[in-house]
Amino acid sequence: MILIVTMFLLVGAMLFSLIRLIIGPTIWDRLLALNLISAKTILLIALYAVYTERPVLLDISLSAGIIGFLTITLFARFIIAGGRSN
Amino acid sequence: MIGRILLVISWIYIFFGVLGIFRFSNMYSRLLTSSKIDTVASITAIIALVFYTGIGEYTVKLILILVFILITGPISNHIIVRSAYLNEIPVNEKEVKGWKL
Repeated sequence: MILIVTMFLLVGAMLFSLIRLIIGPTIWDRLLALNLISAKTILLIALYAVYTERPVLLDISLSAGIIGFLTITLFARFIIAGGRSN
Repeated sequence: MIGRILLVISWIYIFFGVLGIFRFSNMYSRLLTSSKIDTVASITAIIALVFYTGIGEYTVKLILILVFILITGPISNHIIVRSAYLNEIPVNEKEVKGWKL
C-alpha cells in the first residue's frame, strides 16, 4: 500500500518537473527538469519492480538511468559547442 | 518496518525537491538545491526498498542501482551547471523575492 502512494507521489513530482520543463526560462532549467524526470523514472521502475515482485524490472531501471545520464551529457556538450543558447 | 519509515522519509524529500524547483529566484540556487535533494530522495528510497524486500535477489540489483545513482547523480548536475556557467550566465543575479517561475 505504501508503495502505491510513493509511486503516485513520484508521478506527481514528474508532472511538476514537466511544468518546470515547459516554462523554464533558460535551457538549463529544462535540462534540470529532464535530469529530475530521468532520476524519478529510475525510482518509479524500481518501486514497480518491488511492488509486482519481479526483480527482472530492476535491470530496466538501471538502463533507464544510463540513458538519462547520457542524454544530459550529450545535451550539455551540444549547448557548449554553440547550440541555440538564448 | 524500517523500510516503511524510510519510504515515508523519502516522501518528504520528494516533496521538497519539487518545492525547490519553483521556489528559488536565482537559476543556480534552483539547480543546486533541487538536484541535491533529488539525489538524496533517490538514495533514501532505494535504501528503503532494500530494507523493504530484505536479503534476496532484489538486494544485489538495488545496491547496483544505488551505486549508479550515487555516481551519476552529482556528475550530471555538475555537467548542467558547468554548461550554464561556461555560457556566461551571471552567477550572482539580483535576488528576486517571492515565487519566480
